Amino acid sequence: MMDLPLLPLVALGAFLGIDVVSFPQAMISRPIVAATLGGAVVGDVVSGLFAGAVLEMMAMETLPVGASRYPEWGTASVVGGALAAVPGADRSGALVLAVFAAIATGWAGGWSMYLLRRVNGVWARRALPALESGAPRTVIGLQARGLAADIVRAALVTLFALLVWLPVTTWLLPHWSLGATASRAVLVAVAGAVAGSAAWRLASGVGGAPWYFLAGIAAALATVVLP
Amino acid sequence: MAIELYRIDDRLIHGQVVVGWGQPLRVGFIVVVDDEVAASEWEQELYRMGVPPEMELYFASVNDAAERLDTWRRDQRPGILLTGDIDTMRRLVERAPSIQTVNLGGIHHRAGRAERLRYIYLTSEEERELRALASRGIDVTAQDVPSARPLPLRELLDGSAR
Amino acid sequence: MTAVPPAVGATPQTSEPHLSWRARAAIFLRLLAVQSAWNYELMLGTGIGFCTEPALRTLPGGPAGTAYHEALARESRYFNAHPYLAAVAVGALARAELEGQPPAQIERFRAAMCGPLGSLGDRLVWAGWLPFSALLALLAFGLGAGGVTVVVTFLVVYNAGHIGLRIWGLRVGWRSGLRVAAALGAPALRRGPQLITRAVMVLAGAALPLAIRRVLAGVPLSPPASDTVVRALGGIAPAAAILGAVALGAILVRLHGRMEGWRAALAILAALIIYSVLR
Repeated sequence: MMDLPLLPLVALGAFLGIDVVSFPQAMISRPIVAATLGGAVVGDVVSGLFAGAVLEMMAMETLPVGASRYPEWGTASVVGGALAAVPGADRSGALVLAVFAAIATGWAGGWSMYLLRRVNGVWARRALPALESGAPRTVIGLQARGLAADIVRAALVTLFALLVWLPVTTWLLPHWSLGATASRAVLVAVAGAVAGSAAWRLASGVGGAPWYFLAGIAAALATVVLP
Repeated sequence: MAIELYRIDDRLIHGQVVVGWGQPLRVGFIVVVDDEVAASEWEQELYRMGVPPEMELYFASVNDAAERLDTWRRDQRPGILLTGDIDTMRRLVERAPSIQTVNLGGIHHRAGRAERLRYIYLTSEEERELRALASRGIDVTAQDVPSARPLPLRELLDGSAR
Repeated sequence: MTAVPPAVGATPQTSEPHLSWRARAAIFLRLLAVQSAWNYELMLGTGIGFCTEPALRTLPGGPAGTAYHEALARESRYFNAHPYLAAVAVGALARAELEGQPPAQIERFRAAMCGPLGSLGDRLVWAGWLPFSALLALLAFGLGAGGVTVVVTFLVVYNAGHIGLRIWGLRVGWRSGLRVAAALGAPALRRGPQLITRAVMVLAGAALPLAIRRVLAGVPLSPPASDTVVRALGGIAPAAAILGAVALGAILVRLHGRMEGWRAALAILAALIIYSVLR
């Protein structure tokens, strides 16, 4: 259980963590990608993918608008995907615990981003006289320093999250008593609710939105009912 | 319905207003109260591109807004009223005393301003203006997005918010 | 009306200044890191300076000249916008600087661009293209696709829009300069978010039940047992899960965004873990 490839996971977390805001914002940090990659590093793509799908539903409501604070899903999903893929565990309990650990990591990651923005602010304030004189080295230096600090931030969040959550989930899994179906039913009900309510809010003010939603449900039913 | 939010935000129309507040409140119109923008076609053109077509956008000077406030309040759709600074909101409140709540949504860094929250920076004069608003019985709170806790002015200014 | 509106400013727009392909490529690559020094004071202000810098080197006097330093100082001040649509601002501001537009006009234009570019980008990308791409990937997952297919589907679809928007933004900003508002007011751009939202709703209706069903079915995916609606969903548990999702989702919608779903999820899952471990 404890034999996780820590270094590759931390490197992946650092790479995907900076994608959230700093570089290149190609959304490789989205849970459906990041958790799948986290699972792949551990050796189980499918379990990572399942964790990624559930986390993606949770992340649907996160709109990084303006300067608001929000969970950092990049590092969180690497941790979630890796924990879901840890071999030798009861699958249903592992998925619930992995998703829980990922959301908690996302919360902590959000705080780390807030702290990084404050540190960037301190650096920018100190550099104001140089910025006002139009010094290119200062401008480029601030961007480079911010990027480097974000890499360190994301790596540390991933490392600490794995060091905390791996023993916790390893200890909890043998005590897991709920059946696989019931555990997953609660998990996907919560995730589906978050995603559904997020989509509903996005459609606010768009005429006929419920009908489009119902058309989608009809299409989904058709794919499973029709031969 | 009524105007659901009287907000001071130096960015006026932006994502937190249109998406962050506009979608959960199902906002049908936004009023931008700003003497300069109300007199500038090119700025209005820029701001119009920031709102979806189903959302109406009105521009008004302070005097014009004070006169039309009751009309907007009778609108069946929920609305948001925005000013870009505290002084504009203070002048509006003086002409329209029925405004009971003011939301501080974004007053950003500028020389002479001190940080109160990560999205609120104030000069001592601006703090005095906010206290004057509160002394009129107006509930002044800081809240950038709906999911954040509305922070009373007292907490904002005594430094316990940071 | 404002006496000297910058969009039709006192200094007339000249023909397009020359900018080498190398400088254009440098600006584009720098745009990918426009937010790397994001902070609450200047937001992405230094990022705009960082991105326009390759163009500013062509100002009279070059990188050692006064014009270069003054322009870089101006472009590195407070600015905020959607990171992808910051490309529009970078293109327009770089051109305005190279045309020698009056600094006061550039600063007023810069200030007025922040909110609208932020709002349009948030609606178009964060509230439109991103959920669209994510739901498409969830649909692929719900239909039984493997990890590689799901990940590639998401990354290709999302980044076609992402990279396309940055390239388009830089081009339209550079071509239009201070007159960029007219280009951005195009009906397609104004109605685009609404059309994407409709597609998002169709995809949400299709993808969410299928994704829920697949998670419940576990690995490997169990085929549906019969042709009735409940069984087609995979049994009683999925039907109960979907009903539970609808009920909880309705509560979250009624709260008008005042409660974040992930916080509710964290609390519910914590309760589930405690119950399952302690009982």
